[in-house]
Amino acid sequence: MIDVEVAEQDGASVLRPSGRLTLISAPKFRDVLREAVDTGRRRTVVDLRDITFMDSAGLGALVAGLKMARQAGGDLRIAAATAQVTTVLKLTNLDRVLRPYASVGDALHDW
Amino acid sequence: MTGESPDRPAGMIAAAQPPALEEVHELLASVWETHPDVTPEDRILFEIAVVEIAGNIATHSSDGRPVTFSLYIEVTPDLIEARFRDDGRKVEVPEATGPVDEMAESGRGLAMTADAVDIVEYHRADDYNHWRIAKNRT
Repeated sequence: MIDVEVAEQDGASVLRPSGRLTLISAPKFRDVLREAVDTGRRRTVVDLRDITFMDSAGLGALVAGLKMARQAGGDLRIAAATAQVTTVLKLTNLDRVLRPYASVGDALHDW
Repeated sequence: MTGESPDRPAGMIAAAQPPALEEVHELLASVWETHPDVTPEDRILFEIAVVEIAGNIATHSSDGRPVTFSLYIEVTPDLIEARFRDDGRKVEVPEATGPVDEMAESGRGLAMTADAVDIVEYHRADDYNHWRIAKNRT
């Protein structure tokens, strides 16, 4: 299963999942996103540097997280996407909705 | 069960359940080890397609009874090819994958597969589903 480090930085929740984000691990990751949004922090950053592979189910979990954050009056950003994750975002045109920031620091800057 | 030699396709046979995806990743890793000349871009795109089809088989092929699938991967100088076969129920493949709402949480797998590689073929024969995925090497 997927491991997710959860931290707080500059008032935002920063989630750092590691391993493969696929249909096996996507449901658990959604639960972690839900918990992060439920903390009441308006901003959530998903640090993707340790995601070695993401499939369409993993992408679906990120979209779910974005929706949860916005429904709660906040927002979600992604950072440090690997080449594989960037390819998935481009193939699905979701890089327009989930624009990858180079780093967590960049994602938090000017937010 | 995984195996690979330069002369014949690498393959696996597994129960069509989500944990089989881990074996698919291992099989692909062994293929890349045997064929280090495949470019990182080709690996990424081919792996995306193979894992989507494997995931589809693992989640949609069973009608209650156990389903088994096989996967064979072959690398030639021009092409990387995957062939799946499973004894699950017939798959209804949409004629064309229309645009998906950008905030939809599912429904992107097949469209993404089609965009990632050059050939995605499905047919049903002798009560088996057959998928063929191929990517021209760059």
